[in-house]
Amino acid sequence: MTLLDIVILLPLAGFFVFLAVPRNNPQMTRWAALLISVAVFVVSLGLVGPYWFANPAGYTFSTNVPWIGSPPIRYHVGLDGLSLWLVLLTTLLTPIAVLVSWKHIDHRVKEFFAFLILLEFGLIGVFVALDLFLFYVFWEVSLVPMYFLVGIWGHERRIYAAVKFFLYTMAGSVLMLAAIIYLYNKSGSFDYLEILSQIQTGRLAFDGQQQSLLFLAFFFSFAIKVPLFPLHTWLPDAHVEAPTAGSVMLASVMLKMGTYGLVRYCLPLFPNAAHNSAPWIAALAIIGIIYGALVAMVQPNLKKLVAYSSVTHLGFVVLGIFSFTQQGLDGAVYQMLNHGVSTGALFMLVGYLYERRHSLEIAAYGGVATPAPNLSAVFMFTTLASIGLPMLNNFIGEYLVLQGTAQANFTWTTFAATGVILSACYMLWMYQRVFFGKASGSVSHHLTDLTAREWVAILPLLTLMLWMGTFTQSFMPPISAQNARILDQTKQLGVERVHKQGPGVPLAEARRGR
Amino acid sequence: MQLWLIPVFPFVGFALNGLFGRKLPKRAIDVIAVGSVLLSFLWVLKTLNALGVFAGGNALETAYVEHYFTWIQSGTLNVSIDLSVDRLTAVMLMVVTGVGFLIHVYSVGYMAHEGGYYRFFSYLNLFMFFMLVLVLGANFLLLFVGWEGVGLCSYLLIGFYFLEKFATDAGNKAFIVNRIGDFGFSLAIFLVGIHFGSLDFGRVFGQIRDMPVEASPGWITAISLLLLVGAIGKSAQIPLYVWLPDAMAGPTPVSALIHAATMVTAGVYMVARSSQIYLHSTFALDIVAIVGLTTAFFAATIGLAQNDIKKVFAYSTVSQLGYMFVGLGTGAFSAGIFHLMTHAFFKALLFLGAGSVIHALSGEQDLRHMGGLRKQIPITFWTLMCAGVAIAGVPPFSGFHSKDEILAAAYHHAPWMYWVGVLTAFMTAFYVFRALFLCFFGEYRGEHHPHESPVVMWGPLAVLAALSLAGGYINVPRFLEPMFPLAEGGGDQWLVYVSVAAGLGGIALAYLFYVASPKLADSFANAFHALYSLIYNKYFVDELYDATVVRPVVDGSRTLLWRGVDVGVIDGAVNGIGHRARGIGGVLRLAQSGYIRNYAAWMVAGAILVIAMIGLAGGAR
Amino acid sequence: MGDNFFPTGAEYFRILPEMILTVAGTLIMFFEAVLPESGKRILGPLSVAGLAAALCAALAANNNPGPAFQNMLVIDGFATFFRVLVIAVGLLAVFGSTEYLRREQSTGGEFYALILFSVVGQCVMSTANELIMIFIGLEISSIATYILAGYLRDDPRNNESALKYFLLGSFATAFLLYGIAWIYGITGSTNLVEIRRVLISAAAPPLVLTGTSAALMFVGFGFKISVAPFQIWAPDVYQGAPAPVAAFLSVGPKAAAFAILLRVFTTAFGSIAVRWEPFVWGCALATMIVGNFAALQQSNIKRMLAYSSIAHAGYVLVAVTAHSDVGGAAAMFYLAAYAFTNFGAFAVVTYFSRKGEKYVSIDDFAGLAQRQPAMAAMLAIFLMSLIGVPLTGGFFGKFYIFKAALDADLVWLTVLGLLNSAVAAFYYLRILVVMYMNEPGASVADLPPVDGAMKIAVYGSAVATLVLGIFPSLVLDFATKAALK
Repeated sequence: MTLLDIVILLPLAGFFVFLAVPRNNPQMTRWAALLISVAVFVVSLGLVGPYWFANPAGYTFSTNVPWIGSPPIRYHVGLDGLSLWLVLLTTLLTPIAVLVSWKHIDHRVKEFFAFLILLEFGLIGVFVALDLFLFYVFWEVSLVPMYFLVGIWGHERRIYAAVKFFLYTMAGSVLMLAAIIYLYNKSGSFDYLEILSQIQTGRLAFDGQQQSLLFLAFFFSFAIKVPLFPLHTWLPDAHVEAPTAGSVMLASVMLKMGTYGLVRYCLPLFPNAAHNSAPWIAALAIIGIIYGALVAMVQPNLKKLVAYSSVTHLGFVVLGIFSFTQQGLDGAVYQMLNHGVSTGALFMLVGYLYERRHSLEIAAYGGVATPAPNLSAVFMFTTLASIGLPMLNNFIGEYLVLQGTAQANFTWTTFAATGVILSACYMLWMYQRVFFGKASGSVSHHLTDLTAREWVAILPLLTLMLWMGTFTQSFMPPISAQNARILDQTKQLGVERVHKQGPGVPLAEARRGR
Repeated sequence: MQLWLIPVFPFVGFALNGLFGRKLPKRAIDVIAVGSVLLSFLWVLKTLNALGVFAGGNALETAYVEHYFTWIQSGTLNVSIDLSVDRLTAVMLMVVTGVGFLIHVYSVGYMAHEGGYYRFFSYLNLFMFFMLVLVLGANFLLLFVGWEGVGLCSYLLIGFYFLEKFATDAGNKAFIVNRIGDFGFSLAIFLVGIHFGSLDFGRVFGQIRDMPVEASPGWITAISLLLLVGAIGKSAQIPLYVWLPDAMAGPTPVSALIHAATMVTAGVYMVARSSQIYLHSTFALDIVAIVGLTTAFFAATIGLAQNDIKKVFAYSTVSQLGYMFVGLGTGAFSAGIFHLMTHAFFKALLFLGAGSVIHALSGEQDLRHMGGLRKQIPITFWTLMCAGVAIAGVPPFSGFHSKDEILAAAYHHAPWMYWVGVLTAFMTAFYVFRALFLCFFGEYRGEHHPHESPVVMWGPLAVLAALSLAGGYINVPRFLEPMFPLAEGGGDQWLVYVSVAAGLGGIALAYLFYVASPKLADSFANAFHALYSLIYNKYFVDELYDATVVRPVVDGSRTLLWRGVDVGVIDGAVNGIGHRARGIGGVLRLAQSGYIRNYAAWMVAGAILVIAMIGLAGGAR
Repeated sequence: MGDNFFPTGAEYFRILPEMILTVAGTLIMFFEAVLPESGKRILGPLSVAGLAAALCAALAANNNPGPAFQNMLVIDGFATFFRVLVIAVGLLAVFGSTEYLRREQSTGGEFYALILFSVVGQCVMSTANELIMIFIGLEISSIATYILAGYLRDDPRNNESALKYFLLGSFATAFLLYGIAWIYGITGSTNLVEIRRVLISAAAPPLVLTGTSAALMFVGFGFKISVAPFQIWAPDVYQGAPAPVAAFLSVGPKAAAFAILLRVFTTAFGSIAVRWEPFVWGCALATMIVGNFAALQQSNIKRMLAYSSIAHAGYVLVAVTAHSDVGGAAAMFYLAAYAFTNFGAFAVVTYFSRKGEKYVSIDDFAGLAQRQPAMAAMLAIFLMSLIGVPLTGGFFGKFYIFKAALDADLVWLTVLGLLNSAVAAFYYLRILVVMYMNEPGASVADLPPVDGAMKIAVYGSAVATLVLGIFPSLVLDFATKAALK
């Protein structure tokens, strides 16, 4: 029973505790939810321990016990530099999600928080599972509560959005299941590490076509979750209809399941296929970056705007992953966390606005800065983080991604970097229309400033934006070390890669390279 | 040496005023805001003195660097929070903190009656912080930090009057146009990262110096040009200058500090900082010079016909920045920096003076409603006159020395550049004095009651006037010689005479038009009506950009991408599949007639099929 | 007439379950006639006791496997597995119907007896090692279910359903009988092992004849398990039959029919697999598609579940197509998981439909989660299992089936099947949506409390579904050992 097991099982236990809580006492339910989620977070902080001073190779806190005899499916979980921060992001955002739902959710409170906690359980599991089957189980388990969160507590078209979300993901994941089974039939194991070592040592080899098909099966289901253009259309609907907490968890953590999967599974397991398809995927990512930004620019609805901005941000992540460079991968993983923090915050703030004005239409606002200066300041800070202002978190991610991509293919960088211009366009334009100008009567009447609870909920994220942007090195080393290993595993067999010579190559050599 | 204190002082000021300013009394805010900048100014003096700069000699010929902590470490790429001082930085530090301090003092008076007092000063302090990071940063990324940061502050301060749409529009315009420049800048940084494996100025320029002098690979040119794109955005050169005139929507001290003296010169600083790279690409240098010259001339022509006093000075700023680029492009980096400094003095003075006038007329900015003010506000009048002659390049005023250096360099680079420069100088002198004459001579055409500004405002004016007078004798080029070897030649005295003559001529013509016989100007305008309205409307460049870039992108995104691709194609396909599936279901249901005989028939048919497949054919997958 | 004609004690012991059930059934009929109304309360418990005893006997019989009655029956792991399964289903059926019968003021006795007899028939089917026995088992089971389908004799829906079921059923059985006759004609035996021996021997009859006889028998089985193109009756019959009967029909007979299908086609016709495999491949696909896509359109929940049960038969056929011991085990596991899941779902419908089955439209379930959270949660679990969400039996069933299919390199069938299950998610989700996301309507206003028996049926099925989903090895290991080689 390692600390990690506790972090995984505590939410599950909490979920069952919840079923015991009387449904007629919402306040008690809220406190219980807060208590549980905070407890999980506090415990999860312990996970950082091994990584704080040293940089352990391999997996920490791993547990590996049999679950199902035949086929041999094991409860095999472990933590590494890639999953560490994602787990903490999950455990941090859950209590925050509880706080933002405090008033926002007023009917069927018990079910709501139960599903929220169950969601946390699934998400944590996805990031630490080291058994392909277990991974798939968690993957699907995390799908169900989100479906109910959107479908029950969402806005007008919530059911359409929920079903769309479920079916989109389902369509992707069944193919992944097929690929997982196929891998098992070939390798005789569901254990990620076992399969990986078989592939690395060549004991398990696929011909080009097999590998591409397997790669695509995984990639497709991850790409839907990311979401990668053109598979993104479930996202705006899901976000717009979801309750604030749902949007926060969805944007901050759930989308990362896709990118995490790409890094953890698609790259090391199918290196050649990954390399061969990189140009196409990069192209899609770049289209996503520009397309998402342009579409975000013309959205009349706040949540839709932020949702499309997610498409842009995640495009950067995918681009970085498929640059196959240290900087690109580091940037991508870091950007996952950044997006979790800053976009999560954006959705919270939009939720704050909604709770006051009961509208998501940008046109319904204007001049908010006058009645609610603090809210406006916080929103501005978050906006700046999201458009990649230096010393704030997103800048680091975007810089590293583009720097890495530049080594792989400078043309990609050139196109992707335009996203940096466009992001400024849509965010600042939105900010101007919402906060600047003279406040209309209804706005100045409804828009009160931040309450204490709202401050408590948003402050951790604001702190992180600054911290992650300035003291990057308190987060980066484990990520970087793990990515180095992944890159090493992703070495394409028998393929010379010229563009792999990264920074640090002496000038003379670089010139000869040209 | 604690270099970090220099930017941190104003940052603390920002934090204090930003967090608690709303509850603090005005005086406390003043003390925090002005005091923090004064402290960092003093700390600059202390530091430079400790580095032996004021002792003269060969102090600080190599950069003095302080390392604080690693910022980003990824693979072999290491970016640290390092600050460094060399002679170039020293000059910039003096200008930024010195002029910055004066403008802070001035603002205390100017903003006295404005709302959001604490907000204004916290932004102003934040700007100082980023500007100092910009000049102190020891690697490209840190330079970029300051670069973006000052852009942010400019955005916030331009939109300071956020109730007015035109103000916030101007803010957005400034930020976004700058982002276009930053796009180039960032690409340049990536290239540097690839080819030098580091972003530290030390390592990068070191590697460059090891290169053979004649070596000029394509990627060096690429880096140079991309850096230039960034500089063009920040320093408002063609074609990205459009944001600066609108930026005048901000309070006048902001125009003086950010949009005249310091931030807009960041581009010049950055090119000078990267001189090592540029020296390996003569092509890029030529581009720099041509961009600068075009901008200088082009902006000057617009300046001829503006009636908003701040707009006039704004275009003159664009034009003067063009001058600096000419200096850089012709290899006279020190001349460019020299002009940067003197310009900081007299242009800050012009704006603050203009602010004093506006303050005196309680908000009036239109030259057509001024006139004859030299009696009512004499101090403002005399200080502005100093600035005027300085910018006109009349010896011995500061502008003369720096402009002369640039023109000399231009002549040795290519004589035609010199002549265009002279023509520009003539126009500059003309429109600056046009503004001054319209403002202070003739009889008063407004209805407010002018009153002289308080000492807290004219004090800084006086100091700046002194600097505009004598600043030219600070021999910056000599001081910078270790970094930028002086352009050869000098010599030909006639060049000097011509340029001075051009300046004086401009003043004289302005006097003729706007003091001696005011009718002449209008008749002139009518005579060349088409030309006049063209430049009066700034060549319709804004309208052009709006029609060719902004509208198409926005409308295209809305109709084509969002409604078309997203909702139409993709979602159409997704929902289409759903309907198709239901359709199939509907077809299958037709079999369910409910009649037993039909069902029996079905089964017979099925049986026949089975027998055919299994029994006879054996089936085929 | 050798002395081995008379079965030994061991052989009697092996068929103890059938005997117990028969006795119990007969007793119930008897008491039904003699007991006063008040005394009939004991009939339910009595049938439960009978089934429980039979269950124990079936388990016990597994300890000394072997043939009985000159190889007419054979008790092996496979037989035990299905016997236990059908008896368990019978138990659930009894629990799930008491409340219904009370509600419809219909006397319970015959109903229970018929269930028991039907179970007897299914037991015989599971153990039969010989075509005649198979036929007899099939008929016992079928005739009972024909009557059950029309149990409420003055309800026209029941009558129509029963009539259709009976006519088409006997029609299909005719095919089966014809097939048996053929095979006897060409091999001179009705014993499966014997038939197999002949078919692989040098003197094997022409493939056309064996193939055709196999085809004829397939029609018979295909009808019972409602595979395309013989699924046609299922929707009407399930919709018309009483809800508990539909529940029973959709699992018990189906499982038993799959048992004989597997036994006949792997044991007897294993050698001509190349001939029937391709066709079953097509059947599986067609069945999945017909079931799932037709279900998309249904508004009546019983009818929708009928189509879904067709689709699930399709999934099992995928395992049959794989035609390997892994496939066999997968099919067995799936049938178990499906049995509990589907029965549970029908049981909730039974509870919900109220007197005269007023509320059987999907929209009637609006807001159930807020009036009867427990029942809604149970139905949600069953639906999740039918969708194939992890930690439910349905998921592992699909998983094992498609794993077996990939083992047999049926890549396309796997992919298409999985995509089918994604389509299926859509119509199951609709019920979830209605239950959880719509506001309560009049249909959930006057929900009666859930009575004990129904609780046992529903919670029992739910527990089984979850146990199969979390600890599948409990059943799978047995199935793997028991699967026919």
